[in-house]
Amino acid sequence: MSVSAKDVARVARLAELAVDDTELPALTAQMDRIVSFVAQLGALQDLDGAGTFLAGPERSPLRADVVNPAPLARPPAAIAPEFVDGFFVVPRLGAMEGSGAFGRRPLRWARGSPRPAA
Amino acid sequence: MGARLAAASGLNATLAWSGEALAAEAARADAMPARGALHGVPVAVKDNIVTVEQPSTCGSRILAGYVSPFNATVVERLRGAGALIACKTNLDEFAMGSSTEHSAYGRVLHPLDPERVPGGSSGGSAALVAAGVVPAALGSETGGSVRQPASFCGIVGIKPTYGRVSRYGLVAFGSSLDCVSVFGRTVSDAEGVLAVISGLDPLDPTTADRPPLEPQSPPASLAGTTIGIPREYFPADLHSGVKAACDSVIATMKELGAKVVDLSLPHAGYAVPTYYIIAPAEAAANLARFDGARYGARQPADGDVRALYRATRGKGFGAEVRRRILVGTYVLSAGYHDAYYNRAQAARARIAEDFTRAFASGVSYLFTPTTPTPAFKAGEKTDDPVAMYLADIFVCSANLAGLPALSIPIGRFEGLPVGGQLMAPPFAEAGMLAAAALLERHLDSTREVSP
Repeated sequence: MSVSAKDVARVARLAELAVDDTELPALTAQMDRIVSFVAQLGALQDLDGAGTFLAGPERSPLRADVVNPAPLARPPAAIAPEFVDGFFVVPRLGAMEGSGAFGRRPLRWARGSPRPAA
Repeated sequence: MGARLAAASGLNATLAWSGEALAAEAARADAMPARGALHGVPVAVKDNIVTVEQPSTCGSRILAGYVSPFNATVVERLRGAGALIACKTNLDEFAMGSSTEHSAYGRVLHPLDPERVPGGSSGGSAALVAAGVVPAALGSETGGSVRQPASFCGIVGIKPTYGRVSRYGLVAFGSSLDCVSVFGRTVSDAEGVLAVISGLDPLDPTTADRPPLEPQSPPASLAGTTIGIPREYFPADLHSGVKAACDSVIATMKELGAKVVDLSLPHAGYAVPTYYIIAPAEAAANLARFDGARYGARQPADGDVRALYRATRGKGFGAEVRRRILVGTYVLSAGYHDAYYNRAQAARARIAEDFTRAFASGVSYLFTPTTPTPAFKAGEKTDDPVAMYLADIFVCSANLAGLPALSIPIGRFEGLPVGGQLMAPPFAEAGMLAAAALLERHLDSTREVSP
């Protein structure tokens, strides 16, 4: 077994992918099967100095240095959850900070909103 | 058109279509001041190619209901030539699979045998063309996802040179491999669509600065053409029906005046493991954007924003996509990067060199079987991911080397289509297609082969 359940859990964390403990054994077995299969490249003896193959044109054609309009097929209001007076409406900064997303100590109020009564 | 789509609904090949949208498409084409090259031709579009008027789900729950704010370049070009976007087609989730069983919206049925798979990942597009619903359809290839289903369904599938067709609006899977590709009932149907969608696109800096493909009429013979037969593609245990069909094509090529030579592509056996390192590595990076914050469905979660990402991705992606993201992350992670990813990059360079050497030796095109067997049964390979990956053994090298390649139907075994593959040097599509069109005239693709 070259891939352990611990490896799968670590990689899942790196990939921001929730993996249920109940599915971990089956997933570990499949990962081990795949990784053991691709590991046969280890048998290739002539890879020194092979370099890297890049598909596509040798050089990217440059665009003319002009600003072209890039119109949307539908207005921003149609693709945003909320759009008022020309602005995207997003959650209050404090609400996101309070969720613990940005730092350990949650803020008690959002900047610009009334302070809670002491 | 609507009636034909409705009649084919049992195949589960379509994801989004409506009679109103079809009528609007027809009215739009009729109102065009000049008739384009594809005036009034209905073309089905794989659901990982974005469209403004239909949702683009990539066959995934994570993009359920997602509607793009722009059209892919290939869609704009089809409409500009007067084609009608007929429908969006079912696929393996994010184009990862070889049977179209890995769609969040159910599997696609093979048009000739409902118990079998149409191949994948562009199985919906292939099934609709094979069932006679549309004359042509767009698919996409990362590792053979158009040629393999074309072979299973008995139609033509063309993968162009990497850089021939814009990827703008093709949802990225493996960016160094992805190509918008085409299905047709005949070589000519598929070629007409490829000619319209090919060419430089300022919105995709990996497109080549070359004029669009110009269709050629088929030559009178294959005199002066050398066809290479790579022996690694004809192993001793090759399916007897596939082998018999290929042998008869080789005989036809000789009758048409081609010189046929045996040759070796020594690294061919390493294509599948190389592909299944590079493609998942690129997929793990490309699919990082689907996190519940920017696109599609969002899974509520307690805790910080990472909990939201994890829950959304954990619930939103299906089993095969999750496996590939995990494998891709594994081969790129500290401690494994050199042994897997860097090694695969070097192997890819050697695989590409094998082709360069073959074509430099005077070979015009290579001929091989497209798939190791005819269409397999649903469920036959879903328990073993590696068995499923090996269905791509003859097709994924062309993607690794960036080469143009096609599959044409060459016969039937026990009623199931068998496909033959031509591969060509970069940007040699026109000659390869002309040779394929000549072969098509001289082959009875519905003839039962006897091993």
